[in-house]
Amino acid sequence: MTTLTTTAAARAVAASKIYGSGDAEVRALDAIDVEFAAGAFTAIMGPSGSGKSTLLHVLAGLDTVTSGQVFIGDVDLSTLNEKQLTLVRRERLGFVFQAFNLVPTLDALENMTLPLALAGVKPDPEWLDTVVRTVGLADRLRNRPNQLSGGQQQRVAVARALLARPEIVFADEPTGNLDSRSGTEVLSFMRRAVDDHGQTIIMVTHDASAAAYADRVVFLADGRIIDELIDPTAAAVFDRMKTLGG
Amino acid sequence: MWKVTLKGLLGHKIRFALTAIAVTLGVAFMAGTLVLTDTIKVIFDDLVTSVTKGTDAYVRSRDVIDTAFGEQRDRVDAAVLGRVREIDGVREADGVLQFYAQVVGSDGRTIGNPMGGAPTLGLIWNPGSLTAWRLVEGRGPTENDEVVIDRASATTGRVAVGDTVSILSQQAPAKFRVSGIATFGNADSAAGATAALFTTPTAQFLSGAVGRYDGIQVAGEEGISQRELVARITAGLADPAVQVITGERLTKENQDAFAQQLQFFNVALLAFALIALFVGSFIIFNTFSIIVAQRTREIGLLRAMGASRRQITLSVLAEAVAVGLLASLAGLLAGIGLAVGLKALLGAVGIDIPNGATQILPRTVIVGLGLGTGITVVSALLPARRAAKIAPIEALRASTTSTTKRLVVRSIMGVLVTGAGVLALLFGLFGSGGVEAVGFGAFLIFLGVAVLLPVIARPVSRFIAWPLPRLRGTVGTLARENAARNPRRTASTAAALMIGVALVGFITIFASSIKASFASSIDQAFRSDYVIRTKGQGPPGLGGFSPALARQVAEVPGVEAAGGIRFAGADIEGRATFLGAADPATATTLFDIEPRRGDLSRLGPAQIAVSTEKMRDEGWRLGQSLAIRFPKGPANLTIAATYGAGQRAGLFDFLISTEAYDIHYTERLDSQVFVKLEPDADRSVVTVRIQRVLRDYPNAELQDQEEFKASQTAQVDQVLNLIYALLALAVIIALIGIANTLGLSIIERTSELGLLRAVGMTKRQLRSVIRWEAVIIALLGTLLGMVIAGFLGWSLVHSLADQGLSTFRAPARELVVIMVFAAFAGVIAAILPARRAAKIDILDAISYE
Repeated sequence: MTTLTTTAAARAVAASKIYGSGDAEVRALDAIDVEFAAGAFTAIMGPSGSGKSTLLHVLAGLDTVTSGQVFIGDVDLSTLNEKQLTLVRRERLGFVFQAFNLVPTLDALENMTLPLALAGVKPDPEWLDTVVRTVGLADRLRNRPNQLSGGQQQRVAVARALLARPEIVFADEPTGNLDSRSGTEVLSFMRRAVDDHGQTIIMVTHDASAAAYADRVVFLADGRIIDELIDPTAAAVFDRMKTLGG
Repeated sequence: MWKVTLKGLLGHKIRFALTAIAVTLGVAFMAGTLVLTDTIKVIFDDLVTSVTKGTDAYVRSRDVIDTAFGEQRDRVDAAVLGRVREIDGVREADGVLQFYAQVVGSDGRTIGNPMGGAPTLGLIWNPGSLTAWRLVEGRGPTENDEVVIDRASATTGRVAVGDTVSILSQQAPAKFRVSGIATFGNADSAAGATAALFTTPTAQFLSGAVGRYDGIQVAGEEGISQRELVARITAGLADPAVQVITGERLTKENQDAFAQQLQFFNVALLAFALIALFVGSFIIFNTFSIIVAQRTREIGLLRAMGASRRQITLSVLAEAVAVGLLASLAGLLAGIGLAVGLKALLGAVGIDIPNGATQILPRTVIVGLGLGTGITVVSALLPARRAAKIAPIEALRASTTSTTKRLVVRSIMGVLVTGAGVLALLFGLFGSGGVEAVGFGAFLIFLGVAVLLPVIARPVSRFIAWPLPRLRGTVGTLARENAARNPRRTASTAAALMIGVALVGFITIFASSIKASFASSIDQAFRSDYVIRTKGQGPPGLGGFSPALARQVAEVPGVEAAGGIRFAGADIEGRATFLGAADPATATTLFDIEPRRGDLSRLGPAQIAVSTEKMRDEGWRLGQSLAIRFPKGPANLTIAATYGAGQRAGLFDFLISTEAYDIHYTERLDSQVFVKLEPDADRSVVTVRIQRVLRDYPNAELQDQEEFKASQTAQVDQVLNLIYALLALAVIIALIGIANTLGLSIIERTSELGLLRAVGMTKRQLRSVIRWEAVIIALLGTLLGMVIAGFLGWSLVHSLADQGLSTFRAPARELVVIMVFAAFAGVIAAILPARRAAKIDILDAISYE
């Protein structure tokens, strides 16, 4: 789905998220303006409490902004009610979380097809085949999550996020719980999804080497965007983070 | 450590509140029962005491027999009264009689219903100091057509002094002038019983006891002890046929007789309270198990910091004590309120209880608190032990892994316990184990199946839910898998409902079988066109019709035959039993009891007819003589005929002629009158003529075969509904259990549910998942409950085959209704948990640490 007016898959316009009031006021997001290009892999980085997770949550319709606007494509999320937000998540977005990514009572295949099943849509068999092959889990499809390794579980989660061909996949520290080998597997897989299939991915991470897989890194501190890097290397990201004190 | 316990309690207010409700309801029911029966006992003890107040000695017949209707004592000769009065030391003596007499009010309707409520009594008016009756208006009866009635009857029937009323008794209905209105002590009636007090000759005539009394009340002169008085009367009468007892003993006997009846009622109600607590114990067990599982890390941490196993066990048990004590206390208070409600419920089914101070005995408080707390602690024992087994290392593990222990031991245990239960049950039903063995057997079966349940919960709930994924897609799959994911938890939740449903199903099957048996015995025996029966139904002797009714109906033009049937207790060959009596000339025309040998229609006054089954069981021969003890004395009757339809067919094993009955009994009340019309009679015309006769008998109701059947089954339904109401409590507790388990599971699955919501599950879909899970658990419990119900019903019905329960019937429609109702109840139980699940904040659920 492309639009004529803009190439941004998602954007925030003067988006603020404020918790508490008075002395206890915390500005998790402070009038942020940011765009995320379609077909690109963007990483959001920043020290703890910088607002990077909050930014991801409001972009993904999991949380609402206090003021300003958030768009997925042309849709202003702040105008949607709970039910509509749920449908946007189900039909237009995909998610990969750090943990608790899979439903323990469903097997790998059922977990992958969960959003589609909830929407009552049959997966496209060819695309399913492609995704399954790319994730390299063809022989484990009938296994329950507790029979899969951590890396395999995250790969299933990524496969689930990709299977519905969402406009954007949001990944929140997808490799946070993994050893480096499994982390590499998952990140390469995400990278391939962008390169081979033009998938848009927005990922929050605090790991410089993970951020190096992205096309662009956005740095946050105190709820504001303070910098960005295009085509980053791990070393460059690491240097930049050091100056941020993260 | 205690601080941790307290914090634990406060931290889980809602789940403990739900657990507490299970205990509270059970204790409330039990306390309510005890308070109610204690209150009733005090009221009636007072009543009995006031009836015999002033009586120092009581003279009665020594002849007493044991019958199927209880103890029956002969009357004493009226001449004894005169002799007692002459004995030195006797200040006052009165003859007493108590019999069926029912006053017809000014609106033409009978006052009081002896069939459903307190008796309608005919009594002798004794003006002396020995009676509790006090005139409040008019004067005592001096003429034989005068009567004094109690003030409650006067008010209900709108009767005033000077009015003429009709009174039903075993004699033809007759008119009496109301000479006075009396109170019983200060009460308007004697505990709800109506009273008509007559002159001695009238009372003797109406009761068929001409020249006789039930007994003689005696007051002694000042300074003579009751024992002394009894000794003097015994010596003075020197009559081996009479027995003299002290007033104290009479009071005690009467109180004991009442206490025995009350005991039955008490035990019946307490049984339901225990069922409720038993069901509740599953919920307590479940709650504590889940809480211990959820707190694994916390407990592991405590262990790592040096808490001993003992301390962990004790802290869990301390929680149980606190919850149990609080819940029992609430239950106790609620129970006192419930006693009032139960009294109203009994009133609604026709059992009126007079007013009196509510009795809260220390025993009620001790039993209520003790049992409620005890059951909570016992139910928490296993979870507490499991908590103590948690190793310190568990604190460090990320998630709790549900240990699936080897199920072999459990299977063997479950099968053994269930098997023992079945054996105990069968021993109770078919052997000599009695009702205790039956109850214990049923308890063991429930327990055994509950132990087995985790083994089969997964496959059975998957089986129940197999169409769900196809019907409801992912929602269905998730519901099915959630129900099956923790079989132990699902099992104990379902077990609670299983017990409730098993009892409801069992009682439904039992009642259906009774109704079917009634219907088949009526269909078989009914050969007449109509039956005249009393409105309401009760044990024989309490009411019925004067034989005049059958005579009058027989004379109606167009009626071929009309004959009454009577039932009475007797001791036949040393066995307490009962017999039927009918006019042999019309009996075979009116009912078909399958005559076999001999000639029933010519049964003489010294003869008896016996069912073929009884003949076979006892090895009796036609022409043999049976030694029978009647209330009026012993007699030998010869077996002159046999018939096929005995007690097994819902009728009676012994039949004598009305003529023989009149010789051996003073009561002459027909229980039912059967009427057969002439073949060419105009039915509607004759019916109108019969109705005209019945105008004098306002307690009579004319019914054809279908109506008769319907009224018989309606009585069963009434009892059935009462039992349903009592069992509802157990079912409600079980539903609370489902809600509780689901609620706790949802807390456990917060992150999973948050994930589902994040990837696009709508709130509606999420609620649907929870609802379906509840339905699966409910159906699991119901299905197993039905299987047990079928077994219990089948075995009870078959064990009662010789009591006239000829037909086993499992009513498909009713049982399906119960299933549907249970599934629907599951939906209701899921309302709150589902709402709670839908409210889960996605961000909270998916954020970690």
